[in-house]
Amino acid sequence: MAPGSDTTEATGLRTHPLTGIVQGALWAVAASAGLVGSFASGEGVRGVLIGIAGGLILGMGFGILSWRFTRYVIDGAELRINSGVLTKSSRRIPYERIQSVDIVETLLARILGLAELRIEMAGGKDSRTTLRFLKLDDARALRTVLMNRAHGHDGDGPEIEEPRDLIALVEPERIMIGTLLSLDFMFSAIGVVALIVGGVWFGQIVVVLGGLIPLGWWLLQIIAKRVLLQWGFTLTRGTRGLRIERGFLSRNSQTIPFDRVQGIAVEEPYVWRRLGWQRLEVDVAGQSSHRDDQGSVSSSTLLPIADPELADHVIAELIPSAQPWTVPLIHAPQRSWIFAPIGWRYRAAGADDHTYVSTTGWLQRTTSIIPHHKTQSVALRQGPLQRLRRVATVEVHSPKGPVDAEGRHLDEGDARRQAFAQLEHARNARSAKSVR
Amino acid sequence: MEWDWTRWSGSQYPTSRAAGSNGQCTRVNWALPPRLGDVDDLFAPPDHEWQRVSIRLRDLRRILILGGCGVLALATGVPILIFTGLWWVVVLILIVFVCLAGWGWFWAARNQANWGYAEDADELIVTCGVAFKRLVAIPYGRMQFVDVSAGPLDRVFGIATVTLHTASTETAADIPGLPADEATRLRNRLTELGEAHGAGL
Repeated sequence: MAPGSDTTEATGLRTHPLTGIVQGALWAVAASAGLVGSFASGEGVRGVLIGIAGGLILGMGFGILSWRFTRYVIDGAELRINSGVLTKSSRRIPYERIQSVDIVETLLARILGLAELRIEMAGGKDSRTTLRFLKLDDARALRTVLMNRAHGHDGDGPEIEEPRDLIALVEPERIMIGTLLSLDFMFSAIGVVALIVGGVWFGQIVVVLGGLIPLGWWLLQIIAKRVLLQWGFTLTRGTRGLRIERGFLSRNSQTIPFDRVQGIAVEEPYVWRRLGWQRLEVDVAGQSSHRDDQGSVSSSTLLPIADPELADHVIAELIPSAQPWTVPLIHAPQRSWIFAPIGWRYRAAGADDHTYVSTTGWLQRTTSIIPHHKTQSVALRQGPLQRLRRVATVEVHSPKGPVDAEGRHLDEGDARRQAFAQLEHARNARSAKSVR
Repeated sequence: MEWDWTRWSGSQYPTSRAAGSNGQCTRVNWALPPRLGDVDDLFAPPDHEWQRVSIRLRDLRRILILGGCGVLALATGVPILIFTGLWWVVVLILIVFVCLAGWGWFWAARNQANWGYAEDADELIVTCGVAFKRLVAIPYGRMQFVDVSAGPLDRVFGIATVTLHTASTETAADIPGLPADEATRLRNRLTELGEAHGAGL
């Protein structure tokens, strides 16, 4: 604890004064939209103006009020956030339960030089707490303090930002080229252009709009997710985990602790595979379950585009003993063609002493890697058609996320052997972990 | 029943890998390998026999299916007979529901007979399904919590469902139709084993 903190102990610290304005502006937009709707119906332009003004006053007033009543306390054992105007609430975050602290700069906050902290705690619902907004430097300092305490370091003394090595810096041009060369982008872009040209040619604008809106939305989603969200992608390594910084409109800084990686998927879209490019997705315990509650701000992408050497290097950082390309794979037999006339050739699964690896996909090849000690359970499945073809599916279950390892339509004998071998591997890996 | 690995060794019949590796045989191999064992062997536990669930699960499901079919048949047949008087439509409806009920009668027996679980040294293994068979093995050290649930009808029949949860939502391991005292015993045993094996992520 920094000297002189005894005075702040009782009252706590305030978030940045502009918080009220930023938060208020967001509420104001929503409030004025509602008010405009009700006024506009009756009174025309004057009603709209009254609606906007009323929304601004209401939103700003409420934003400033709630800022006045929000304080946070950094104490010896926990971080406390007290908030609430009428009903008081106090959120306690014990340091030892903190899993990761991320910094997010949403667009409006970023313009004003502010940032919010997202604190992930272990277990359960409601495990994410946001503290908004702090000055960017204060947010970084607070993150360092919290992460130091979370790892049992005494808070006393200078809190220095741990040294970080740069692993990868992905240029926006590369991300854009990669997106241009992916099939789903090409398909949706060509579709949009074809629809517009066709619509103008035949003069059927209304008919075309029906197809244009979903297709255009898909295109925008692809651009937002693959380009804007991954803009200025920087991957660095600290002593406890990797840190990702990315984002064009809103900047996001996310930490991936080494011990919480549940699995990695290597994705190679059709054109990329010809060029030797890869994309990495990662399953981090506790993070994927929050993916949709804050819009698309957080993402499971570990590396948006990279050469195989860099990808292998990053995989080795997170799953040190992984040798995904040398694992002996059992391929789906030829008689399983009935389930995937072309794709059966690319379906394979296998395990070595450290990881379970499965590959699938004809257009987009996906290689899933799960370390044995993260295996949650193992299943063997067979449907009637599979029984006729004497094949069965092995599933290795990991917590919810983009990584999905299963050996589909393997020979039934191979599948059974692989499932029970996987239990054995998982058991050995768990006992090795607990001994260490 | 001892699982005989040698019977299943892949070398006994040509697989795609063998065919693809010499680079000559690329056409689809239509001939299926001979069935080397019973279907039950594929879904057999490694060491033990399956412990089966209570026969009362079958009885409960039969009652529900017959009751449901009967109510639906009455609800559709009677109004048609009263308002239109088309008796042959009613006969058709009755035939459909009798077929449904008959199928349900046998389904309940087969489904009940195919649920099984085995408490292995390190895992709990659960199997189920007739057409779509599934076997799931959950290491004791990976269980997060164990649920026991019993609806009002279940309680009349004295049975309960035990559900195992891990950090993965795909695990989906239910054991329905356990006698109530067996369900409690299993829950306590699993909780004990989970603690002993250091459960958690």
